[in-house]
Order: sequence, then C-alpha cells, then structure tokens
Amino acid sequence: MFSGLREKVGQVLVPGDEFSLEVQETLSLTEPLKPEKVLLGPGLKRRGDRKLLVVKSGVLRHKQPHVFWVENHQRRYVPAKGETVIGIITVKSGDVFKLDFGGSEQASLSYLAFEGATKRNRPNVQVGDLVFAQFIVANQHMEPELVCVDSAGRANGLGVFGAGGLLFSVSLGLVRRLLRPRSDVLSDLQKLFPCELVVGMNGRLWVKASSVQQTLIICNLLQSCETMTTAQRQQLFRRAAQGAL
Amino acid sequence: MMEVCGSTNVSLREFGCEQTLLSRPDGSASFVQGDTSVIAAVYGPAEVKVSKEIYDRATLEVLIQPKVGLPSVRERSQEQCVRETCEASLLLTLHPRSSLTLVLQLIHDDGSRLACFLNAACMALMDAGLPMSCLFCGVTCAINADSEIITDPTAAQEKESRALMTFAIDSKEQRVMMSYTKGSFSVHELQQCIAVSQKASENIFQFYRDSVRRRYSKNL
Amino acid sequence: MAAGFKIAEPLEYHRSFLKENCRPDGRELSEFRTTTLNIGSISTADGSALVKVGNTTVMCGIKVELTNPLVEAPGKGFIVPNVDLPPLCSSRFRPGPPGEQAQAASQFIADVIESSEVIQTEDLCIERGKLCWVLYCDMMCVDYDGNVLDACIIALLAALKNTKLPEVTINKDTGSTRTSFCVFDDSILIVDPTAEEEGLSTSHLTVVTDEKERLCVVHKPGGTPLSAEKLQECIGRATARQREIQKLVDKVVHSVKTAQ
Repeated sequence: MFSGLREKVGQVLVPGDEFSLEVQETLSLTEPLKPEKVLLGPGLKRRGDRKLLVVKSGVLRHKQPHVFWVENHQRRYVPAKGETVIGIITVKSGDVFKLDFGGSEQASLSYLAFEGATKRNRPNVQVGDLVFAQFIVANQHMEPELVCVDSAGRANGLGVFGAGGLLFSVSLGLVRRLLRPRSDVLSDLQKLFPCELVVGMNGRLWVKASSVQQTLIICNLLQSCETMTTAQRQQLFRRAAQGAL
Repeated sequence: MMEVCGSTNVSLREFGCEQTLLSRPDGSASFVQGDTSVIAAVYGPAEVKVSKEIYDRATLEVLIQPKVGLPSVRERSQEQCVRETCEASLLLTLHPRSSLTLVLQLIHDDGSRLACFLNAACMALMDAGLPMSCLFCGVTCAINADSEIITDPTAAQEKESRALMTFAIDSKEQRVMMSYTKGSFSVHELQQCIAVSQKASENIFQFYRDSVRRRYSKNL
Repeated sequence: MAAGFKIAEPLEYHRSFLKENCRPDGRELSEFRTTTLNIGSISTADGSALVKVGNTTVMCGIKVELTNPLVEAPGKGFIVPNVDLPPLCSSRFRPGPPGEQAQAASQFIADVIESSEVIQTEDLCIERGKLCWVLYCDMMCVDYDGNVLDACIIALLAALKNTKLPEVTINKDTGSTRTSFCVFDDSILIVDPTAEEEGLSTSHLTVVTDEKERLCVVHKPGGTPLSAEKLQECIGRATARQREIQKLVDKVVHSVKTAQ
C-alpha cells in the first residue's frame, strides 16, 4: 500500500497528479498484515475511495509511519486549529477584539481569553497591539477564534507583546523551517547575537535585539534566507558575525 | 529561474516562465511565448466584498490589463474565458466566502495572447498555492490560406490566417475546457486543430513541470 | 412538496428529471423551446425584429447612418453591435454601466459578424475613403430566461434582412445561426437552457454555423472539459437547428413582403 506515493517522496509534484490507494494484490506472508491508515497533510486530497489527488505544487514529504504532505511556497496564510500566530488588534468592540492575522477574514479574541482576566479585571489591550495567540476555532465555515491561554488557563508565552521590536513578514515555508525541531537556520542565528524572536505560523516574525542596528541585521538576514542554499546562508551568517554588514 | 523549452514535433515558439517574481502578491508568474509576454499576479484567499460573497465557494475575479489604454470589450470577453477556465480547475469550495483576484498584465502582444494569458494564469495560481484539481494550458491554432495548421502563431501569422482557434486543455484527460474561435472552418478542421492542440499540450505540461521542479530545486 | 424540493435542492430537482431524459418544463434533452419571430416591429428604426425563444425575449433595432470611413480601411463601413441586458429583464442585472456578461455578449456578436461574414463591410462603402454606412445594431433583452445569445443572433439576422439602405441594397447575407448547449454534471448535454438551468450547469457551449454548414464560432468560455465525441454531437445538432431557423426567418420575411 502507498508504494506509488512512497516512491515519489522528495520529488516535485504538480496539481492533478493522482495516486491509487489500492491494496497490493500480492500479500507478504512474512510481514504481519495490519490495516494501514494514511494521514494526509496540506496539498493532498482524497478523491473517492481509492484515489489520492495532489492539489498544490511542491515537494512531497513523508513522516513515519504514513504521514504525507506537500511542502510548498505559499505566501497567504490559511488558519488551522492549534497553530500560533501573530495578530494585530484592529477593533475593540464590547466583549471581543478583532485581530488581523493576514488571512481571508479577521479573527475574534475574547477579552476573557487572557491569563487572569475576569469580568472585573479586563486585560489592558489597545488597538494596534501585537498579540501572540492560538487558534481554537479555525475552519472554512466559521469565523476563526483565537485565545491567549492554554487549557490550564496559563498564558504560556501567549499574550500581548512587542514593545521596541520589529515586525516583518516572510514566506510560510521559511516560518515552518524556523519552527522545525533543531532548525538549522535558527541554530545559525543563535550563534550571532542574543535576541528575542517571536515566530507566528502566519508568516509574521517579530525580532528584538540589544540595539536597533542588530535588530535590522537579523531582519535582513532572515528575509534573505528564503532564496539561499545552506552553504550560501552559512557564508552570509559568517560575514555578519565578522561585522561586515 | 528563467528557462526555455525547445520546440519538438508540434512547433511551439520558445517558452519561458518565472514564478514568484513580484513581492507583493500571494502568487505571481511571468510567461513568455516567443515575443508574447504576460505577467500574472494572484491575491487571495482574501476578504470579500459583501455584494460579491458566495456562501459555498470563493469568488474569482479576473482582470486583464492591455499594454496601453483601458480594458475594452475585447478584454472583458477574454476575462470571462479565463475566469471560467480557472473556476473549473480550482477547488473553490475549499475557501468559501473569500475572494481570489487574478490580474493579467499584457507586456507584449505577438500573437496567441489568450493562450499566453491562460498559461500565465495557471502558473500564477500554482505559485499562490491555491488548491487545483488539475492544470490547464492554452494553445492557439491558426489555419492559413493553404489550409495548413500553425500552432502558437505570431501576430503576422494570425493576420494572414483564415481561421483562428484558441483552446484550453486540461492536464488529466486532455479534454477541451475552453474554446474561442474566429473565422469560418469545417468540422474536420476543428477536429484536426483540437488533436494538434492536445498534442501540443503535452509539451506545455512537461514545461510546467520542469519550471516548478526548477523552482523547488533548492528545497529538494 | 415539489415546489419546496425545487427551492431547497435545485440541483437534485433537476437531476431527478434528467435521469428520466426530460426536463422540468416538459421538454426532452435536445428539444428547443418554441421560437417566434416578428420583423419590422419598430417603425422608427431602419430595421427591427422581435424574437421570443420560450420566455426569453430579445428586441433588435438597426439604425443606419452615414459616416467617414477610417483612414486605415478606406473601403469599409462599420457594424456596431451592442447587447443590452437592462435590470428590467432579470433581477440578476443591476442598473449602471453594462456588466461583464453584456460586454462579453456584445463582443461575441461582433465576433460572429466578423467570422460568418454575414455582411461584408466592403459592401457598406459608398465612396472609397469618403463616405460609408454605419449600422448600429442594438439588441435589447426584454425578458431573460436563459439562452439570450441565441435569441440575439436570430433577432440580429432577421433585423438585418429587414433593413433597406437607400439606393444601396445588401444582398450578400449568408444566414448563420447559433445553438447553445449546457453541460450538466460534467456529462449530460442539454440544448436551449433556461435561466435556471444555466445557473446550475457546469459548462456552456455555443456553436455558430452558416448556410454552407461551415462552423463560424465554437465558443466555450471555460467550465468543465468536454470530449471530442460530445463536441461532435453538439455540432450535428447545431446544423439541424440552423436549417430550422433559416426556414423560419425566410418564412417571416416572405410573409411580410406579401403583406406589403
């Protein structure tokens, strides 16, 4: 099963490519036969019972045991439940704030969804503030909803932030690379300057270093990372460390 | 990221394509067919005007900008052709109540412009990462006075032609998604032109695949 | 019950009819609505016609004026077609400048005139480089119930036959007729769709043929793909329809002449 798909891992696919999910006709006698479940990520869609359709162009990736997805260079963010994003407060209306997070509509954020907030004790949030928040409702049919607390009622890093830093946007692909466990870009960056970095899944980054100059350098380095190979990037970071920029 | 596709048995002019060349739009592509050149930009899924909102799918808007002057009635009818072709290949139901905008700017017209619009549109939609059920491409055929079929004609060849047809072909079963014709022709000629376009579409789809592969080569 | 079903599930409602090879208004899949034609109905215009295809009603008026030919084409006159879809004819059209559909329809009619050579623009020239005729063909939809392009072409054709230019007569008309098809659910083909059917279908196809059974326009603005066999079927049906319409126009023109 999925042998057709496995062969293509690491290769570039385009929309319209189809794979069959047929069970193989010859069964192995030595291997135990288990019903296998496949998990499809972004860019793959099930068509009918036995067909798998690629709907986005990009590189096919695979994770054990049966997780498949297409990695692509999309720039527009589409919200997904559980993802953390950087939003900007645009409207304060009664009990909810409206946040712009770069998607197709604005998300709502209740004033009670902050750590320690009660009906009496309202959080101090102004229009224009940056908020790091998590989606608890995100599907195509409903208005997306964000919260700034985890299930235990703790902030856990979420909430209003952003005094004195710089906010900028990069591609969604770069953000995912930064958030990967043991990210190579991030480890290179750590060697450079001490800095604070907030990464939103919606392609927004916020940086604050000890001086404005260093903040700008980091911002420029990250933005130029997108189009570079590993060797080029490491060379650039070395030059930055020597103070060439 | 620029590249070129050489002509094989069905003679097409040299193709060129570059994706993500503009920084502001969510997806962009330039497409070059010989001297005809088009830049396409896609925005979306973005917020939609209430008057244009469709409750179960995304609203697609296509704008064609000519090289000089304002868009005229001719652009409008081409916009309609491109829009309905894109609507058929995009999975619009995955982004209900949102808007997609496709802007096509003609850079230079040397024949086969509708085909070039379609090709640029397809590359830009792919670049924007919008979900599509299949790809499509545009092919123009001209029938000249000697009843020969010329694929991907230049402006001069178009002018001399007796009939001109543009087809959009889908990548799955190579069927005709759109047809736009000028001049009179027989049923047999029509079928010949469709067959030639289907053959040419194979080359174009291969070219699409090669350009996308080139674009992702750094991430392999 | 049936009315509620129709409103709640319009697509299912149509599908259940199509399964039985008929349509909600009692027609078969390849059956046209009754077409009626009246020519010379506007006395102030130089040529006019009123066409009804089922409920769809289109009025065409032709106004003739003298003008100077263009420097680039000194031996040619002009034909200026314009399709108007006013808010009067359907709730889908709003007042204001013409929408995309009206503009695309005007362009389509212009393409048909050019491709089918209904009138040679050379014949409209009176004196080369000095004086020529310009024909303003205004098509106004009075009632929109689908398939408006078909009705427009029939109206235009009949109105042109009705037009007489002083001292210059145009006799080179070659009749051309178009037939519209709709593709339902990617595979079922129906002709002469109503507005409701147009809204629900996945693709449209228009074929224009002329007297000599050559194709003038095969117009399919996107939508779901169509195989070569289906296309062949459409063309066959279109040529049959062309003969019917030709007969109708000739009959009406003849009856008007005898009445005078």
